[in-house]
Amino acid sequence: MNIWTIVLALILGVLFGFALNKAGLTRYTKIVNQFRLTDFTVLKFMMTALVVTALGLYPLRALGLITFPAVPETYILGNILGGLIFGVGMALAGFCPGTAVAGAGEGKWDYIVPGLLGFLTGGVIFGLTYTSFMPQIKKIANLGAVVIPDLWHVNPILAVIVFALIALALFYAIDRLGLHRKQK
Amino acid sequence: MNWLKKQISKELWSPYVAGILLGIVGLLTVVLAHQLLGASGGFENIAAYIGKAISPSNTYFNYIMPAGITYPVILLVGIFFGGMLGALSSGTFKFRTMDDEQWKTAYGKQLWKRWLLLFIGGIIVEFAAGIAGGCTSGLAISGGMLLAPAAFLFIAGMFASGIITALIVYGKKF
Repeated sequence: MNIWTIVLALILGVLFGFALNKAGLTRYTKIVNQFRLTDFTVLKFMMTALVVTALGLYPLRALGLITFPAVPETYILGNILGGLIFGVGMALAGFCPGTAVAGAGEGKWDYIVPGLLGFLTGGVIFGLTYTSFMPQIKKIANLGAVVIPDLWHVNPILAVIVFALIALALFYAIDRLGLHRKQK
Repeated sequence: MNWLKKQISKELWSPYVAGILLGIVGLLTVVLAHQLLGASGGFENIAAYIGKAISPSNTYFNYIMPAGITYPVILLVGIFFGGMLGALSSGTFKFRTMDDEQWKTAYGKQLWKRWLLLFIGGIIVEFAAGIAGGCTSGLAISGGMLLAPAAFLFIAGMFASGIITALIVYGKKF
């Protein structure tokens, strides 16, 4: 890595952590109440970000100005299974790796010590057991590093617009139709 | 100028405004750095130092996620200082423990219990991110913004089990 890349990574990381702090996602309450369906901050924050980025990236790709870096691999069983286990830990602890690091920066000892140690331990266990199960899981229903518009052969710009409309409909349902539950 | 200062020093922003900021960060990450956002991957690069000490010939830590101060690790350092900057801007930065009222109603006031649960939660989350191919940042957000199916499968799984877990923890108070 050259110095420019390091500085860029630091700046982008700072902005990312700053956004997590301002959205309030560094708090247990915000995360767990998303799963109690009484506070939709997590979903609103995430979906807004996805729409903004996709609206920028797809036209740039269509113009040939960028390529997508390291598209996450789709292996259906593993993606879902990982998500299912992830949700248990996230709802129990009220954090995920990104929000815990930003929360650690706010001065939360609970995130600095057991949180970060937990992630490191989990990473070590995963790496040490990787060869015993992951190659098999990755083989099941593996579609490769693919994006939905290419997979389904739909116009990418149209796909992004539909995605944005789905997000808007979701926001409308949350804010105007009362999708969220009342806090007890 | 005063208006801007006032907005920046607010403790909480609308999730839509904070989401737009994250969206711009995601866009810049791809365009300027040709990278994605992520968090769990950086932890794996650090965990690799420990993993290789335990098992020097381990495949994962030698070939798939080698130890090193990689781009994701630098990004983690940035996220840490970003959280700090956010807290400083609203005057809420403080070294503290047990700062969440709702946690106490859910699990009680004991600090050891919180630390134990956060440690176990951290293990579960990082291990699961390994299986899925990323966490909320590296898969849900980074994959989602590229419209990768993996991201939406992960999000669906995460919400399904997260809701059930909250239901079990909160019981009648859900």
